[in-house]
Amino acid sequence: MLYVDDEPGNLVGFKASLRLDYHVFTAENIPQALACLNDHPDIRVIFCDQRMPGKTGVDFFEEIRVSYPLPIRIMLTAYTDVESIIDAINKGNIFRFVKKPWIEADIIGAIEEANKFYLAVSMLSIKNIELQKAYDELNKFAYSVSHDIRGPLSGILGAINLANEIDDVAEMREMLFLMQKSVKKMDTYVLSMHDYYSLQRGELKITEIDFEKVIDELKSIYTVLAKVNEVAFDISISQDGIFRSDYAPLRLIFNNLLSNAFKYQDRNSKNKSVKMTVEVAKSVATIYVKDTGLGILGSHVGEIFNLFYRSNSLEVGSGFGLYNVKSALIKLNGQIEVKSILHQGTTFKVTIPSI
Amino acid sequence: MNIKFSFIIIDDSELDCFVTQKLLEHSTKYVAITTFQNAEYALEIIRENAARNSPVPTIILLDLQMPFMNGFDFVEEFEKFPAEVKKNYRIAIFTVLTAASNPADIHKILTYQAVKGIIEKPLTKQKLLSLLIRV
Repeated sequence: MLYVDDEPGNLVGFKASLRLDYHVFTAENIPQALACLNDHPDIRVIFCDQRMPGKTGVDFFEEIRVSYPLPIRIMLTAYTDVESIIDAINKGNIFRFVKKPWIEADIIGAIEEANKFYLAVSMLSIKNIELQKAYDELNKFAYSVSHDIRGPLSGILGAINLANEIDDVAEMREMLFLMQKSVKKMDTYVLSMHDYYSLQRGELKITEIDFEKVIDELKSIYTVLAKVNEVAFDISISQDGIFRSDYAPLRLIFNNLLSNAFKYQDRNSKNKSVKMTVEVAKSVATIYVKDTGLGILGSHVGEIFNLFYRSNSLEVGSGFGLYNVKSALIKLNGQIEVKSILHQGTTFKVTIPSI
Repeated sequence: MNIKFSFIIIDDSELDCFVTQKLLEHSTKYVAITTFQNAEYALEIIRENAARNSPVPTIILLDLQMPFMNGFDFVEEFEKFPAEVKKNYRIAIFTVLTAASNPADIHKILTYQAVKGIIEKPLTKQKLLSLLIRV
């Protein structure tokens, strides 16, 4: 808290009786007080004397109401004329009025109430930010639903309409194949949406992690994919010591990074490869996923972690994958970096601390 | 339909490209049908062919919601072509209309001269024929 008063004696007395329970800053004049507010944005309660040379307490409060709206303002003064009380309330928007000479119980009561109020207001602003974020995502959802669900659906409907015109079996087969792709894409979309929600809402379930086991299951899936697409696939894992984390988001991170590495290969390239290394040392896991794929345009790299962002016109992306990776990493206190060269490949580096 | 057209289909969905192409093949007297899953690439090809004067008009069936370059960006870029290039083309917006579509955007895109109309997906023979009569 901050106490502003032009009599040094008052400041000393105030600080002396409260310093054990609170972190007290004092200021003898308004410029000092403003400097203190600027240096300590965590100040929650401000006490201010009304009569000071230069500006009055009301003027000071009126000013900081705008520039520092969060701290709770309390007037502490010996002058209790009605005018200044009215001004303090109407202009300074004060929370309490404490009369000098003060009794400790009054001050402490005022501080506790002010603190409660401060916390409630802070919580409200945090909730507001969360709400805004949820609302923005909902907006993106509306867009995405039209493109990623209604889009394929209308495509399939169009194909069914067209089926009446087609007699050629080969042509029909080709169309069925494309219809199947659209259906699969929608299915993937719904599954990623499920990932998205479980990441946003779920609590962490911390267990000891054996990276061999986490990757084993994915390895078998991607080994098949690697064979079919003629991609050289290499995994190396070294783990020294115990690592504690949540299994589900870890698996999601590995799965998405691997899936992207295979998905965005250059189909015409002769030397396709995906290489993953996992190294766990000193309670930090460092993961590299390196592909020789299409790469990401420099100007797009900053946006790839945004929800529904797709940097490639290939139909396979839903714009969920890397956003989910990022959300999972935020939950696990992890970091992600990306290096990419167009037409040469992309390397993702992920670091996750043991919890 | 006795008038002949060429067609360019710009749609990021492979299935939609296929369906539209087949429907055009089955129900119009087309000269050529080209499909693009990337609007930027389509723009490049139009630029390359700018010097060639086509004997028949080309109808561009344009999806709006695409990653990379969307339909709105495409039309804005297309408008920058010189008039003698633009006169060979007619753009028809071909999209999924949803509650999320911004009416102001749609209205704006329809004010461009090259944009001749809007068809809602899925495409049917009737919608196609009524479009061809309009252009």
